[in-house]
Amino acid sequence: MLPEMGTAPIRTSQLTKNYGARRGLFDLDLQVSGQEVFGYLGPNGAGKTTTIRLLMGMIRPTSGSAHIFGMDCVRDSVEVKRRVGYLPGDVPQFGSLSGGEVVAYLGGMRGGVDTRRVHALAERFELDLSRRFREYSSGNKQKLAIVLAFMHRPDLLILDEPTGGLDPLNQQEFYLLLREARDDGATVFLSSHILSEVEHVCDRVGIVRDGKLVRVAQLDELRHIRVHNVELEFAPGETIPEQQIRDSDGVESMTVSGQRVACSVHGSFEPLLRAVSGSRVVDLVSTEPSLEEIFLSYFKEPKPKLLKS
Amino acid sequence: MSFVLGLRLGRWGIAGFSVAALVSAFVQTAGFYQIAGHTAAERTAFGASMATLATQFVALFPPPIRPDTVGGYVEFRGIHPLAILFGVWALASAMGFARGDEERGIVEASLATGTSRIALVASRASAFVAAITAASAAAGAGFLAGVASGHETVELRGLIEDLALLVAVGFSCYGIALLVAQLVPARMAAAAAGGVLLALFLLNSLSRVFASLATWRWLSPFRYYDLGQPLPPGGYFDTRALLAMLGIGALTAAGAAVAFLRRDLGGALVNVPLRSHRPGYDASPTVLWYLPLARGLYERRAGLVAWTAGMAVLAIVFVSLTRTIVNVLLSVPALLPYLSSFVHQQLYPAVLGFTWFNVAQLLFAALAITYVARWSAEDDDGRLEIALSEPFSRAAIVVERMAVLILAALVITAVSGATLYYASHAEGIDLNPGRLVAASLMLVPFALVFAAAGSLLAAWNPRAAVGLLGAFAFASYLDTELGTIFKLPMWLQDLSAFKLFGTPLLTGIDGRNLALMMLLALAGLGSSILAMQRRDVGA
Repeated sequence: MLPEMGTAPIRTSQLTKNYGARRGLFDLDLQVSGQEVFGYLGPNGAGKTTTIRLLMGMIRPTSGSAHIFGMDCVRDSVEVKRRVGYLPGDVPQFGSLSGGEVVAYLGGMRGGVDTRRVHALAERFELDLSRRFREYSSGNKQKLAIVLAFMHRPDLLILDEPTGGLDPLNQQEFYLLLREARDDGATVFLSSHILSEVEHVCDRVGIVRDGKLVRVAQLDELRHIRVHNVELEFAPGETIPEQQIRDSDGVESMTVSGQRVACSVHGSFEPLLRAVSGSRVVDLVSTEPSLEEIFLSYFKEPKPKLLKS
Repeated sequence: MSFVLGLRLGRWGIAGFSVAALVSAFVQTAGFYQIAGHTAAERTAFGASMATLATQFVALFPPPIRPDTVGGYVEFRGIHPLAILFGVWALASAMGFARGDEERGIVEASLATGTSRIALVASRASAFVAAITAASAAAGAGFLAGVASGHETVELRGLIEDLALLVAVGFSCYGIALLVAQLVPARMAAAAAGGVLLALFLLNSLSRVFASLATWRWLSPFRYYDLGQPLPPGGYFDTRALLAMLGIGALTAAGAAVAFLRRDLGGALVNVPLRSHRPGYDASPTVLWYLPLARGLYERRAGLVAWTAGMAVLAIVFVSLTRTIVNVLLSVPALLPYLSSFVHQQLYPAVLGFTWFNVAQLLFAALAITYVARWSAEDDDGRLEIALSEPFSRAAIVVERMAVLILAALVITAVSGATLYYASHAEGIDLNPGRLVAASLMLVPFALVFAAAGSLLAAWNPRAAVGLLGAFAFASYLDTELGTIFKLPMWLQDLSAFKLFGTPLLTGIDGRNLALMMLLALAGLGSSILAMQRRDVGA
């Protein structure tokens, strides 16, 4: 089922949810196009889940509006949900029900279950639906939430940090599933606080911080935002090409301690690797900094007060 | 820290039960001065009538001592019911710690701080003792305020001893419930612990009627509670009984701590090994999951079977008790003229109607509270949010919840009513079948009133809903008990479902009362739909 031509799957206008004390979401203007995988990126507490709950009609906006396929998220919430698959940030607790019973229960509320689709999804993620929910590991609970969100082939998937608890293999399987859903005509709105995950699957990215949409960027621009903390260890007695490293594109904050060099790298690694290509490097460690660090380095904005320690 | 956390997590229970204890004790005490008369002769006559009334409740409470005094009356009408109430609180609190907090990860987080399991159990048990001590003190304050309103004084020692008994019986129930919860799987913990406590309560109370049970009643902490009635003049206090209850509480809590040491988090001490089986990748084929209403009933099928079977067994017990009670009543010569003129040939139905339907009302109120507790939990554990992500309106969710409760109440009342009818018939007690059906059906709108109030509370503040609904049920009960004593306005008395229920087995259904009950239920339902539509979910 394809969404109507010309109607944006998601459109918000000055959408605000004010919890007081500068917490919530403020003046969100956003449009997500059909068959787009839109990443919604932000640190913890930035307002991602609030946005998603507003879109799902779980909470009422203080002001502004949100529309899904042209329908108001509060007024037409039942019709909206016919076309949406939802994966909440916290997997609900189903106690002693088996996975299969949970699927039947919620599928029953939707009017029926596509049994072949459920079987295919469960088999794909190796999720044993005959086990009780209580016996599931956190990864299996997340898999069940994925099955619930995808089982009715929705036109729009709203996913709140969907890969939490999944091992890397299942994460890859999930990314594949997302692409398939998009290729079948679905639109995806995916929140995350992991830059590499968003970079992996999304076409476009919205970055939210302190309840405000800071930027909407194409994937290429995101790659520019990308920062890595790199540590290089040179072989004993090896001369460190300090100046070449310092002059490399994207290299910042370089420090040298003995045979170890630490720096941050924006964008591609290529200039750095070229700079050290003539030297013997015995160890190289690259870590992805937290979003907060990325914001600090990229947007040069002060750290939010709540995160001070 | 765990001690403070225990108090923090149970703050609604502490507040609710303390207020209930305070109000109950005050109202019963002040009520005594309204109805007992002021002269010695009036009070003697009042005491005699209370003693007669008490014979009908022999399966619940021990016979009163000196009910012609404020201490004896309040002991019987105020303190003994509080002991049962505190037992229920102990059960809920122990389950909250042993299973609820464990499922929410609170126990895991506490253990991760370096707190030992034994220390955790000890601190949470201590927190409960502190909580129940506060609620008992509130009951004592209510009693003293009531006595002051009657311009009398009482001996403080008897009151303190009485409150100590309340704390001890609550602590022993807490320890037992905590121990049972360690032994069985989480999904069965509440039912198993509740079943054990109910069995221990009935073992003691029914031993007053069935002599064969007296041999075993030492097993029940309620037996030791019965051994003291220190509040009335000439009452007695058995220190060994108090120590026995405290010992039961301490030993069972220690046993629970040891069991907790030996079991896995989330598991049971007695584990059934998982059978190896081929993984299943299909949704449940059970057709009931796909049918509105049926899915709600089917999901709660274990509870429904337990409630239905329990009520049916209780019906049989009450029919058996009726003969004993009537024999006692008939053995009082002074009552014979009253009995023959007032209830004519309907003595058995009158007694059965009074005892069984009184208890059935309390149980149906409890049934409604358990459903409301589930609705509140669904809010907390994210199930409401995921249900609302389906194309299902909030109003439909509220209506389906209520409809499931109605169906469950119908099933329970149908089976227990039929059991009551056939058990009575077997005992040679002829009940009017039409009236029995009508009276049994009246339990459904009765439960609906509480469910509607609970639905509104759950929509407004899910975390406080159970406590507030319990207080509402308690207030409704007091309303019907004391409305006439305190000459409360009729409209206020009519808000009590207990009052509106009436005596349908004896006098049939009062159409006005039924209409009022339906009106209250509909008002609650309508406002809960409105509240649900306006509120934020998951925020």
